[in-house]
Amino acid sequence: MTENNKLVVGIGDYKIGEAPYVIRTTLGSCIAICLYDDSKKIGGMLHIMLPDSSGHHEKPTFKRAKFADTGIHDLLESMKKQYTIPKDSLTAKIFGGGKVLRMVTSNIGEQNIDATKIILKQHNIRIINSKTGGDKGVQVDFFLDTGKVHCRVFGEEPEEF
Amino acid sequence: MESNENVNRAVQLVAEHSIEKSSEVLTKMLNTTAKIELKNVNFVDITEITASVNQSDFEAIGSFILLSGDAPFKFLFYVQLEDAFILTDLFIGQKVGTTKAYDEYVSSTVQEIGNILSSAISNVFASDFQIKMLPEPPSVIRDFSGTLFSELIMDMALQEDKILLIESLFEIVETELNCHMYLLPIDGSERILGFGAGI
Repeated sequence: MTENNKLVVGIGDYKIGEAPYVIRTTLGSCIAICLYDDSKKIGGMLHIMLPDSSGHHEKPTFKRAKFADTGIHDLLESMKKQYTIPKDSLTAKIFGGGKVLRMVTSNIGEQNIDATKIILKQHNIRIINSKTGGDKGVQVDFFLDTGKVHCRVFGEEPEEF
Repeated sequence: MESNENVNRAVQLVAEHSIEKSSEVLTKMLNTTAKIELKNVNFVDITEITASVNQSDFEAIGSFILLSGDAPFKFLFYVQLEDAFILTDLFIGQKVGTTKAYDEYVSSTVQEIGNILSSAISNVFASDFQIKMLPEPPSVIRDFSGTLFSELIMDMALQEDKILLIESLFEIVETELNCHMYLLPIDGSERILGFGAGI
């Protein structure tokens, strides 16, 4: 991975791309959702922090990618708009949802994991791999040439998913 | 919008004052010049700021402190893990390079520096804004810098897409050691500070 082929995702955002790009993010209690079309080497990563957008639509600013429901919908639509994606060709991998700090009051990580699973199922997207929970941060690198994800939990060796 | 800018200006002035005080205290404590620079006082977009921190992600050790009182803040001080070893040597007063691995001295040093900086800052905020402000006991966490930062802003970012962040970067002269310090007003503290400043 070089600085030239690296796409970095912040909270409440998604990035899409194709080989040879690598999409990176770092997580605590947030979730990274990686969608991939193996036949076209196209992928996208979404970094959500909340399970449900209900009650947020009326706010003057509404960052749709912060939420599992609107974020997954928008990531899918963007991928379909930018690329021709055959029906049912996408698979998903999900990471994060830990409880790193006692200062974070709610156990939002678990709620994010549950909501993500339900929404992906509604879109007929199969989760083929995941590493969720725990109490440490996670660094995620999504390689779009292979669809592999290098997931590194703090203090541990990177694992390939 | 104008009100936001006025609050920013008031907070910036007090932040500058508190950073000066922190520099003095840290310089005295480490027996070497610590230059703290106020990098930014602004409402920042949560996506942009976290992408920027994730861009140069590294293994770090940080001290989280809740400054409770009339205008609560969250405080985070963090430093790259290897740089924390140098900081520990300076803090203990031993030859730089002596500490080679993470141990309780490193953890205690980061905790103590967090305590001292947050106390210096809360003293200035309390006196300049005429409010009560008291540091709670710190939590020392080792993790990726991106994780530490996202956990700092998490509670605020659940509600808001833009947050007022006071960001400082400081270097310990003669060691090329860079430390990061953030202050985040929570629970509407920026409005309380604006009121205290007559805005």
